[in-house]
Amino acid sequence: MITIKGLREGLLIVFGEEPWLIQMHELEGKLEANAHFFKGGRIALDAKSLVLTVDDLQRVIALLTKYEVNIWAILAQNEITSARAQKLGLATTIATPPREAARQDNGEPAEEYAVGSPEAEGTDGLLVRRRVRSGQVLRHPGHIVVIGDVNPGAQLIAGGDIIVWGKLQGLAHAGALGDPNAVICALELAPNLLRIADAARSSLSVPKREHNKHPEMAKIDHQEIKIVAWQEK
Amino acid sequence: MHPIVVTITSGKGGVGKTTCAANTGCALALLQKKVVVIDGDIGLRNLDIVMGLENRIVYDSVDVIEGRCRLRQALIRDKRAPELYLLPTAQTRDKTAISPQQMVQLCDELRKEFDFIIIDSPAGIEQGFHTCLAPANRVLIVTNPEVSSVRDSDRVIGLVESQEKGPAHLIINRLVKSRVKRQEMLSMEDIVEVLSTEVIGVVPEDENILMSTNRGHPVALNGQTPAAMAFHDIARRLSGEDVPLQVQQSTSFIKRLFGRG
Ligand SMILES: Nc1ncnc2c1ncn2[C@@H]1O[C@H](COP(=O)(O)OP(=O)(O)OP(=O)(O)O)[C@@H](O)[C@H]1O
Ligand SMILES: [Mg+2]
Repeated sequence: MITIKGLREGLLIVFGEEPWLIQMHELEGKLEANAHFFKGGRIALDAKSLVLTVDDLQRVIALLTKYEVNIWAILAQNEITSARAQKLGLATTIATPPREAARQDNGEPAEEYAVGSPEAEGTDGLLVRRRVRSGQVLRHPGHIVVIGDVNPGAQLIAGGDIIVWGKLQGLAHAGALGDPNAVICALELAPNLLRIADAARSSLSVPKREHNKHPEMAKIDHQEIKIVAWQEK
Repeated sequence: MHPIVVTITSGKGGVGKTTCAANTGCALALLQKKVVVIDGDIGLRNLDIVMGLENRIVYDSVDVIEGRCRLRQALIRDKRAPELYLLPTAQTRDKTAISPQQMVQLCDELRKEFDFIIIDSPAGIEQGFHTCLAPANRVLIVTNPEVSSVRDSDRVIGLVESQEKGPAHLIINRLVKSRVKRQEMLSMEDIVEVLSTEVIGVVPEDENILMSTNRGHPVALNGQTPAAMAFHDIARRLSGEDVPLQVQQSTSFIKRLFGRG
């Protein structure tokens, strides 16, 4: 079983115990099913104890390249695998181990950390306390919370929910690993483009709302993204 | 006061970086500061033309870096101000001719002699931007009051912040008040709302700029046109004076009324 984690520098794909080819197949399935989530992303692979040939490595690089994913490191317990990855010009260490990245909670834009299925309450996420600017991309398999505005041209791509304590412009994709129950909330919802799982809604298709300077939530209702005012119950 | 390296850049090209670098340099020099302006746009040399010093170039910054001359030999003194110098760049080299490291060393050398080192940088998407960013103490982003320019500026501000060179400050260039009033052009407030970046100057659209560029005589050397006043205010702010933006706008408006005659 493959798991996807968030790192400061990008995503980490961790391989499980099963044979390599089976997991390659699983990876391809994940990339195919969640192309929007991975596209343009930067990833490291953790091969754990698997022993991989140069051919194996080249094949996984080719697979990732096909889905427009940049791989920058391969972690391996096996030294020969490690040496082979190095020969292919890949890093074999990552700066911050995921656990530690999570603990360094000094108010800095701790760029991420998270694991696993975003369905469950209490899932990890990425908290960013700053303005997200044009050209910047936050990508995380869990939830993304931004305290600050998200400018036009910025992108938030989350496996789980997206919450913006500020004005959300730019692109937001919640449930990007296929969860149609994911939601997008903002104090002011004025995005260029909203996506939830496979549904999309561009700002053009949103009737100009005069009074959208109040909290709103976007969610899927009958296969369509609906935007509703946030009401305290 | 410690010497300050001011890098002037933008999101996209053609928004007025070179104009701002030349005029801010002149205005600082007229405040009795010792100033050098560096052309950081290797291969696209034009700061020398805007300053009217083209015919005096013998050596350039790449000659200095590659050891063909001493730094002092490449500096061109502009006699129209007390202490104003230009360090021109090479016309036939590409942007990799000077590394960020080398630019830092060059500026460290210049810090010994000058109060202000102004770098006319390429735009943030271009090669050579990181070279000009490396030595900066202050980064000024030139933006035009239009949506696409502001969007590009936002990107560069993000880059500057991620290099820990921030906070960047804004020069809003080519503002036309009447068009803002008619809501045809973004206002300063509109721009600040998106960029949340401090504004260090608002330079109006000024027909004198074109002429002065062609003549090689920066408007700030005379100090009478609307844009010239804006550059003098920017120079005073860079020198640490507290010149409120609001006051600047109204005084320059009044001065504009009387300064014309
Ligand atoms: N405030 C202004 N009023 C009128 N014209 C201006 C103003 N500022 C700049 N210009 C004009 O805009 C043009 C571009 O200016 P400039 O060369 O300074 O831009 P730049 O950002 O340095 O361009 P590049 O990216 O090509 O280096 C010039 O023709 C200049 O005269
Ligand atoms: Mg220029």
